[in-house]
Amino acid sequence: MDIDILIKKIDMETFIKLNRELIGKQYWFLNADNPGELYGMLQDGLAVRIAVKETVIPNIELKFMKSDLDRISLREHMVVKTGKHIINISPLELQIAFKLYLGSDKDIEDAVYLYDIFSKYLDIVKLKQYMSILKVKGADYGIDV
Amino acid sequence: MGSMFDKKQNLAERLKFVHFYSQWVKSVPNEVWSKQQAEFINSLFENARNFHLDAKKYLKSINRR
Repeated sequence: MDIDILIKKIDMETFIKLNRELIGKQYWFLNADNPGELYGMLQDGLAVRIAVKETVIPNIELKFMKSDLDRISLREHMVVKTGKHIINISPLELQIAFKLYLGSDKDIEDAVYLYDIFSKYLDIVKLKQYMSILKVKGADYGIDV
Repeated sequence: MGSMFDKKQNLAERLKFVHFYSQWVKSVPNEVWSKQQAEFINSLFENARNFHLDAKKYLKSINRR
């Protein structure tokens, strides 16, 4: 089980600060200990995983924004308020289209669940646009837009 | 010999459950479904130390997917 976190590219100095802060808060990086090595992975377009100290799951999969869809995710993010906290999430329309694109049974179930739950609030034009960019269809699963 | 497992039928049944569950979520107050989901997520954290793979094996397993 992981949570994907997408960020704009940061410089090495900022990443080292983030690394130190997370370690100070009892998290650890699963891929490597050396911040330089971790930063190199991020620069290579790979994800690094962060979990609570001495555990492996659940974990955060952290990566730098890379593709146009990543840019849309950040630019058109949605804001979720949970009590005192605020979390930015990628647009639901993009999440649904991307899950269909990934295409495993589990991904399709996730897409259908999001579509069912949020159908009243979705921007169908955007959903169609993202599905068209990713060349996916959802009619077989009830996502008929 | 053909597979005994009908993948398409399996997905259809699972999607039926997804529809059922999403209808249930929408039919009850937020406090009801969110309490169940919070219990599930909290139990994952409580059991995180019992996970059977170390980081190296875990990363290898997800990279194989």
